Amino acid sequence: MFAFIIRRILQAILVMLVISLVGFSIKNSIGDPVRDLVGERVTPKERAAMAEKLGLNDPFSTQYVRFLKNALHGDLGTSFIYRKPALEVILKHAPATIELVLGSALIIVIFSLPLGMYTALKPRSLFSRFVMGFSTLGVSVPVFLTAIGFIYLFAVTWHVLPSYGRGETVDLFGNGYWQTGFLTIDGLKHLILPCISLASIMMPLFIRLIRSEMMEVLETEYIKYARAKGLSPMRIWFVHAFKNTLLPVVTVFGIQIGIMFAFTILTETVFQWQGMGFMFLDAVQRADISLLIAYLVVVGSVFVIVNTVVDVMYGFINPTVRVAGTK
Amino acid sequence: MKKLVLCVLSLFLVLSFSVGAGAKTLKVGLAADPVSLDPQVQLSGGMLQLSHWVFDPLVRWTQDGQFEPRLATKWERINEYRVRFYLRQGVKFHSGNDFSAKDVKWSFDRMKKSVDFKGLLEPFVGVAVIDDYTVDVVTAKPYALLLNMATYFFAMDSEFYTGTDENGEPKDAIKKTTHTFANDNESGTGVFVIKSYEQGVKTVMTRFADYWDTKSVGNVDTFILTPIKENATRVAALLSGDVDVIDQVPPQDYERLKSDKNTSLVTINGGRIITIQMNGNRFKPFKDARVRNAVVYAINNAGIVKKIMKGTVEVAAQQSPPGYAGYKETLKPRYDLKKAKALMKAAGYEKGFEITMMAPNNRYVNDAKIAEASAQMLAKIGIKVNLKTMPKAQYWDEFDAKAADMMMIGWHSDTEDSGNFSEFLTMCYDKTTGMGQYNSGYCNKKVDELTIAAQSEIDLKKRADMLQEIEQILYDDAAFVPYHWQNHAYGALKNVKVKPILNSMNFPYFGDLVIE
Amino acid sequence: MTKLQKFKESYFLYSFKRDKVAIGSFLILVTLLMLAITAPWIAPMNPYDAENIDIMNSEIPPMWSEGGESVYPLGTDNMGRDMFSTMLYGLRTSMIIAGGAVLLQATLGILVGLTAGYFGGRTDAFLMRMADIQFSFPYLMVAIFIGAIFQVVFGIGSYERLAVPLLIVIIGLAEWPMYARTIRASVIGEVNKEYVEAARVIGLSRPTIMIRHVLPNSLTSVMVISTIQVANAVMSEAALSYLGLGMPVTTPSLGSLIRSGFEFIFSGSWWITVFPGIWLILFVLVINLLGDWLRDVLNPKLYKG
Repeated sequence: MFAFIIRRILQAILVMLVISLVGFSIKNSIGDPVRDLVGERVTPKERAAMAEKLGLNDPFSTQYVRFLKNALHGDLGTSFIYRKPALEVILKHAPATIELVLGSALIIVIFSLPLGMYTALKPRSLFSRFVMGFSTLGVSVPVFLTAIGFIYLFAVTWHVLPSYGRGETVDLFGNGYWQTGFLTIDGLKHLILPCISLASIMMPLFIRLIRSEMMEVLETEYIKYARAKGLSPMRIWFVHAFKNTLLPVVTVFGIQIGIMFAFTILTETVFQWQGMGFMFLDAVQRADISLLIAYLVVVGSVFVIVNTVVDVMYGFINPTVRVAGTK
Repeated sequence: MKKLVLCVLSLFLVLSFSVGAGAKTLKVGLAADPVSLDPQVQLSGGMLQLSHWVFDPLVRWTQDGQFEPRLATKWERINEYRVRFYLRQGVKFHSGNDFSAKDVKWSFDRMKKSVDFKGLLEPFVGVAVIDDYTVDVVTAKPYALLLNMATYFFAMDSEFYTGTDENGEPKDAIKKTTHTFANDNESGTGVFVIKSYEQGVKTVMTRFADYWDTKSVGNVDTFILTPIKENATRVAALLSGDVDVIDQVPPQDYERLKSDKNTSLVTINGGRIITIQMNGNRFKPFKDARVRNAVVYAINNAGIVKKIMKGTVEVAAQQSPPGYAGYKETLKPRYDLKKAKALMKAAGYEKGFEITMMAPNNRYVNDAKIAEASAQMLAKIGIKVNLKTMPKAQYWDEFDAKAADMMMIGWHSDTEDSGNFSEFLTMCYDKTTGMGQYNSGYCNKKVDELTIAAQSEIDLKKRADMLQEIEQILYDDAAFVPYHWQNHAYGALKNVKVKPILNSMNFPYFGDLVIE
Repeated sequence: MTKLQKFKESYFLYSFKRDKVAIGSFLILVTLLMLAITAPWIAPMNPYDAENIDIMNSEIPPMWSEGGESVYPLGTDNMGRDMFSTMLYGLRTSMIIAGGAVLLQATLGILVGLTAGYFGGRTDAFLMRMADIQFSFPYLMVAIFIGAIFQVVFGIGSYERLAVPLLIVIIGLAEWPMYARTIRASVIGEVNKEYVEAARVIGLSRPTIMIRHVLPNSLTSVMVISTIQVANAVMSEAALSYLGLGMPVTTPSLGSLIRSGFEFIFSGSWWITVFPGIWLILFVLVINLLGDWLRDVLNPKLYKG
């Protein structure tokens, strides 16, 4: 296990190296950051001087080595538009995204587990058909239409929920990093629409996944045997069958959580939610390349971590899986 | 005793003011928020807006294009090179320091060091302090636009910004990409004091208790500014009542804001000309004035204004908007498909040709849609357009590289004067002087001569004749395709009286805003 | 027995005939496909030909509303294109892009996932880290990068012609790890089961075992993902269009239509929002419904059990 963790950490470092290298080699196609820093009437000469000062004209290798050297000291560069260390900017935006994903993950778990199981156990019931139909519909509507549709109904038409932003937040650790919306009524109100919008695209996937896995398990010899043994249906459903559906569900959940972190861009854009996706799009549109590279490196490491955790969890749920990947 | 009475009186005044006005909070959703608190770090619309809230200029523009005294109470021209400004007395900075002539000089000197402003300040020699409340502004050549430029002279608190900060950096340093004292701290004389500033998230301002302009009718006590980038979300935020005022209302939502019972729409002429330039160096046929004319005749800019801009802007046939010295009334929009076809035939391109066009998609109002409509219109005279639109971050690179045969560019005159348009858009591109920086191919020596001559002509009548002659030449040459002058569209709740505080420069004076 | 006879007697057809939803979805999908294929002949106008479009005809409401014209049955969009024709052409473009991109993703992802899951060890670690790297680059970055290379190689003049294959490559490349990770997960679950051991004992070669035995058992997840990925591909393309990195504005796809619908939601010109929205939802919905059904049928365990 220990060797496995070490190996994964080494791999993670390698992944980040490759990401930063790729990031560096494509950064020139993002645009010229100097353009966003100066007004439109600044002469090309002044702009060139500024690019020189920022070290943007140095050869590729010089820039990359400089980046690596600083990275060793935990410095991933300085964001041009926020004028702060890129890592700090990212860490300050991360809680918003984490809370958004957490909120929707909560909604997904609360609804998809019972609904998924119910539809598997009673596939022919009217309610099951309704749930399946509705979830299929949910997955078919693009998220930004869902989001703006919600805003249209709940904020503009009925005036019951706020239309944008995070509302009133509380500084969780008192150091300005983690602004939480979970502790105020206003903050929670602001969470509702974005979380449901984000959940709406993921939830159907889980209901369907749980349903199909559950149905599959219910058909296995092992369940039939348990039934023949005369175990109560409740016990069979919740203990035996349920446990066996968890493996693929956890896998997909892990992947999806990872995806949600990096791809909340659309939801965050529509709701003006100040998270990482929002920050990323802003950085692309304003060519803040040093922030972008730091972002890529951070997201890359998040992926490696999430996948490692998922792989470890495999081992716990299904001991027959070779966790470390050795034969 | 006298002091006590004064104290009681002022306390009474303060109390009655706050009770009478009923501490109003204003929530504003803007498409972009200020990038810094340093008024001299960037010359952009957003930064100038902030400057008008937190600082004060010597004079400022009124809605009808006149100068309104602010920190300068009056001014007079001493000679061709010199204008004297008499400064307001008893003005306090947010730090508590008193405002005087030295702050004006200090701020000017600092501005001269700013990468963004130094180009604009080229005509100036400097500011001379005459006494504590009198300064002379001196230019190198006779300069007709001195007052226009005085709208940029915001006073910073020289004492507050002198010395070094906790990192040992000088407090007056101007840096765009790293922390500086001035980027995160302010002391101006303006109506609002920054309470908290988190870039891209929220800026909170409160009314300055010692503000000099006690005659202001404004009753906003707390001013909360949130950037809301996405157009639809910004409109939704206003419709749901989450904010009181929004800017940059997209034209397609004008009707909605007008018809909604809670909101109103205010549009005000903006003076930013939207054009598409034809590059004759890249694509030879555009060297032929007949072909350029054919393009201008083929594009129905009135139709674009009616349909894409919802009829709220003025159709353009020249650079200068009405009211500018160079505006020539006889120049009318040309749209005549038959004439366009005839011109193409005369130039030998009856069968048409294929060209490339580029436009930004997040810089001007409906920029990509204007380009798309133009492509449709050009198809009707046989010009096949390969159109590529992109975000401005990538677009400026392409523009600098002059990567397409036709490219879109919009321009707002820095000086509210016609000459500025020609200097940037239509003078022959010259690397050394920096003229024609946003000109992608047109060149006419006569335009250059006239523009340069107009710079130092202080006889306003003669100057206007020169500027109008430029417009006539550009019109005959079809130097570019003119579309319209972009306006500023604000949406507000009905009880927020936003109309009186707007102006064509797009500096909403929220200090004077009345909320009922 | 001929193949046709075999098919007629198969469980596949049998279950299809019994499922009304499947039949309905299938019919709608076929209709949509036909409409997309024949769009150039049945559409009242060609919305991709700039010569046919006049901005003065923009935002005309559907023919049954006040101010509607019978020439434009579903009204016109904000640029003056006939809504109905544009939806047909847009569907066609989006089908090609989404289909191509999902095919590319699936091929890449299944190959990588099978290899990683089956071989394990270093191969697995290497391939999965590749997937992580790829995943860290959102499609926006991939698009900007490939777009920039493209411009250098081909010039912007040919962008309109080559936009479709370009987008297939961009979206296909950006999202293959989705498949790879899922396939790998189910392969790891399958590879130790008795039937694989049995196959190995019989002496079947590795590729045979993987493709004929392990893969079919992983298809459940492939089906679930594919149906979602088709919708995702359309949406990714819409997001790219929004950033000016998708289809050129002069040749709108379904994604670009949805995007302008988003802009027009408060405008009162509801048909610009509603019709393309319904069109896309219908398209994705029938794919999803067929996917549901297909999964139930193809799943060998369910079928035999």
